[in-house]
Formats: sequence, C-alpha cells, structure tokens
Amino acid sequence: MDAQPVIELDHIVTRFGTQSVHDGVSLSVNRGEMVALIGGSGSGKSVLLKELVGLIKPTAGTARLFGEDVWAADGAQLNRLRQRFGMLFQDGALFSSLTVEQNVAVPLLEHTPLPKPECLRLARLKLGLAGLPQSTATKMPSELSGGMRKRVALARALALDPELLFLDEPTSGLDPISARAFDRLIRVLSDGLGLTVFLITHDLDTLLSIIDRVIVLADHQVLADGTVAMLQKINDPWLRDYFSARARIEEL
Amino acid sequence: MTTPLISSERQANSVVVRVSGDWLLQNLASLTLAPLPALPAGAVALDGADLTALDTSGALRLLETMRAAGADPQQITPVNFSAAHAAVYELVQRNFADSMVATPPARGGMLAHIGRVSVETWQHVRGTVSFVGVLSYQMLQLVRHPGAFRRKEFVAQIEAIFVNAIPLAFIMMFLMGVVFAYLLGIQAEQYGASIFVVDGVALAMSREMSPVIVAILVAGRSGAAMTAQIGAMKVNDEIDAISVLGLSPYNVLVVPRILALLLALPLLVFIGDVAGILGGMLVAERQLSIGASAFIARLDQVLPIQTVLQGLVKAPVFALFIGVIACRMGLSVARDARSVGANTTSTVVQSIVAVIIINALFAIAFVELGF
Repeated sequence: MDAQPVIELDHIVTRFGTQSVHDGVSLSVNRGEMVALIGGSGSGKSVLLKELVGLIKPTAGTARLFGEDVWAADGAQLNRLRQRFGMLFQDGALFSSLTVEQNVAVPLLEHTPLPKPECLRLARLKLGLAGLPQSTATKMPSELSGGMRKRVALARALALDPELLFLDEPTSGLDPISARAFDRLIRVLSDGLGLTVFLITHDLDTLLSIIDRVIVLADHQVLADGTVAMLQKINDPWLRDYFSARARIEEL
Repeated sequence: MTTPLISSERQANSVVVRVSGDWLLQNLASLTLAPLPALPAGAVALDGADLTALDTSGALRLLETMRAAGADPQQITPVNFSAAHAAVYELVQRNFADSMVATPPARGGMLAHIGRVSVETWQHVRGTVSFVGVLSYQMLQLVRHPGAFRRKEFVAQIEAIFVNAIPLAFIMMFLMGVVFAYLLGIQAEQYGASIFVVDGVALAMSREMSPVIVAILVAGRSGAAMTAQIGAMKVNDEIDAISVLGLSPYNVLVVPRILALLLALPLLVFIGDVAGILGGMLVAERQLSIGASAFIARLDQVLPIQTVLQGLVKAPVFALFIGVIACRMGLSVARDARSVGANTTSTVVQSIVAVIIINALFAIAFVELGF
C-alpha cells in the first residue's frame, strides 16, 4: 500500500461568527495507526471530526482523506469517499424505526448491489464481530442498553468493511468494564482488519491501553502530538492536570 | 483487481480448497462462482497462498460457498494464509454461525392482524380515558391552587395558536365569504332577490362555515404542532425530566395548551365571522350593487345575536377535543422518530373527524332544542 497519510489536515481555521474554534490545526494519520484526539470540552474536537467527514465546512484550510480534498470533492466523489470510512457517533445515532440488523444493513443495501438476504447475513456477521449476541439482531434500538447501542453503531460503522474508522467518544457513557471490553474489541478489529482508527476520547484508560499516538487540541491549535509517554513529559499545565487526574484519585 | 476464484482438489487422504484473488465486498455482487464439487463434512484445508485481499464480507461469502458444498465451517483449517488474512478469517469463522440464523418472519395472518389492531384500539381507548381522568384531576388541582398555573407557557401558546393564526384565519374566511356570496349572488340575481345574499352569507358564515373551517385550520396548524412538540420532547426524555423535577407534565404542558385553545378558538371563529361577512360585502357591492350601508342595515335585521352565539358556542367544544387529542397523541409517542410522524398525522385526522361529528351533533341539538 502507499505511504500517503490516510488523514491529512492542513492549517484548518474554523470560526463561528466571532468565535474562533481552530486557528491553524494541522495533523496527519498514517495507514494502520490508531490515533486519539483529546482536549478539553469545547476545544473543537467534534467540530474537527465533522469537518473531516464533510459535515461542517472549515473557514479555511484543507482536509484530505485518502489524499482527496474533502471540501473540493463533488457530491459523487464525497459519497465514494464516505463509503471508505465508517463513523461511530457519540450517542450511536441508530435509526430508531429500524431493527438492529436492519440498521447495520442500511449501508450495505444502499451502497452495494447485493441481495437483501445476503446484506442481512453480513449485518449479523458484523453484529457478531462487534460482540453482540445473535438474539439482539431483531430487537429495536430502544430496547437495548447504552453499551449495546454503541456496539450496534460500531457494527454499522464496520458494515462496508471500511479502511478507516472514526469514533466520537466510543467509551463515554459505558461502565469501566464495558468500556475496557469495547477498547479491546476496537483494537482486535483494527489489528485483524488492518483498520486506521481516529477517535475522540476523554477516557484516559483508552489512551493508555490501545492508542498508538495522541494529538492534543488546546487553545485553537495542536498543543502536542506523540505517544502517551512523550506527552507525559511535556510541561503544560492542562496536560499535567489531565494525566495526573487519575493519579490523584488513586491517592485518595 | 483480481477476480476471486475458488477450486478444490482431492489429495491422497484429504481435500484442499484453493482460493485466490481479491475477496472484497465490492467484488461480491458481480461474483458468480461455479459450484464446488461436494466437500466432505470432516476436515478440509483451505489454501490461501494466492489470496491477494480478504475482508470480512469476502470471508463470509467464502465460508458460505464452502458450506453450500457440504463442508462444516468449523472444520475448515486455513493454511498458507498471510497473518492479516488469517486474522480476518478467524474473526469471521468464529461468528459465522450467528450470521446464518435468519430472522423469523414477523407477520402473522389476518387473524393476528385483527387481534393486534383490536388490542391496540382497546389500549388507545383506555389510554384516552385515563388521560382525560388525569387531566380533569389536574384542572381541579389548579382551581384549588391557582398559583401553580403556568402563565408564561399559557401566554406563549396564545401567541402561537391565536395571534400568529389571525392573518391566515382572516384571509381564509374572507375568501370563503367572497366565493360564497359570488355563487349565491348569481342565483339570487335571477329571481331579483339579490338582497337575500346578505342573509345567506351572514347565516352561513357565522353559524357553520367559520366555526368548522377555523377549527379544522387550528387542528392542522396547532394540533399538529402540539403533538410534534410534545412527542419530540418525549423522545428526548424531556417529559421524564419534567416529572423528575417534581413537576407535572400535565400542568406544565397540557393544561396551558388546552386552556389557550379554549380561549383562542372562539376568538379566531369570531374573526372568521367578520372576515367572511366582509368578503360577502365586497362581492355584494361589486356584483350586486348593494352598498355597504344597505348591507349592514339588512345584516342588522337578519342576523340575530343568537345565530352568532350558536357558532361561537361550538368553538370551545372543538377546542377541547383538538387539545385533548393533540396532547394525548403527543404523550403517547413511542421512543422513535417514525412514531412522532405517525402520531402527528393521527392527531390531524382524529381532530378533523371529531370537529365534523361534533358539528353535526350540534346542528341536530340546536334544531331539536328550537334555537
């Protein structure tokens, strides 16, 4: 495969009215990497993610996925691009009027000419990969717990066998046990399927257990970029607080 | 892209299946494979030396193809797979059994359908009765403790239901008056009875047309809005949040809406009366040469206050039904987006049917009572 970065952000500037969100954010993610984006609430992490997938237009700068400029692409190009990545929304964003297996089958039915029974078989396979028992397939999203909904959303994100996975706070709202299990699942899938994963998280345990590289967003810019061990050496008040938050809890 | 291929060969004491090419999702749709010769149910080796790409969808198709030939998916051993392909293959093989369990057909026969609809209708009726019960109790509480009345919400609803609807109600009824007077005028003129257009317009507008048409307008406009708003709040857990804060959703949401409707609809109907008669006046002057003063003089003779009141008295009853239906349908929304749409539609249909039936009952009652 080529050595070209899968994700490339070049001097992204975002302003909403007079409020500046990003002021020259640049970063890149290589194939097969698992990269986390962290930063305080309101630092524009989710906005950055939406700019990458073509939902919010940055004021200036370019966002490239697989080497293609997301905001220069026309509708057809963007849709082709979108079939190459999967996205897990923060609250799952499952279609509430469809059953679990239909939810996962939606991208397959829409984007592949495969017959419906095969789409449903593939959907059930993805549910199994996401660690859901077979009995959930015919349930409605409203009948599931938060953790299970996240797994369904992950299965839907994996439906088209994407090369790239975006995860918006994959472990928020999960208990620590489910959260760790979810982390391991993502790691296993990404290793097994060779996925590139770009995720937003507040979860320190996720960072410490499965992440290759961390990018820190603060003061409208990239504050730091490196492994957790590297970040812990940086002398920045916010970062020091961030990494010592848990140490302090353990002291209590 | 390399076309995916699969073939099998019998060796001394085992069967080897060879796969090659790109077993990827995008290739599956156009993939037509020659059926494999029958495979034994025992151990089968799967040789992936020539496999160039494999994703989970491709691996599933691979296993399905081999199972269709008689192999047991759990007894297939991958050999010569690259590490990445082996990882994908193992993930899929582990979850293969689950993906084969087909969804049981959901629909029953006609009898099941009739049964389901009957149960749902019964539950709906029960729900409505209990809704009216709770609502009556809340109204009674409000009479005892008037301080709990949500004045701000009430005023906001008056604005939404009444003030914002004035132009629409006026224009609609004005045009109704114009059309009615025009068509009536053509007939009346032939008999030299043009002045009776005043009688016709005044009676029709104030007694039937304005109450019914304005009520239908409000049902479509405000009733639908109420159901959609309360329903979206329910989906968003806001109704639960109101309850947990120690407030009553009935007191906060339902009572102000119903009271606002009770006040707004008669006012809108009166505006509709005036607009309809003004529309008639315009036509009378232009088409029938009945001047405004002659029109008003005739109006004074033929339109007793009772007739106007007969129209206005219906409005609060319509309002009560529209409000109860709209709020009840809003609160009974299930937690999904489709249900909000279905209940909103249902509100409009139920309200309009209710308005027309109640109007018919009023017509009979007024005649029987000799008004």
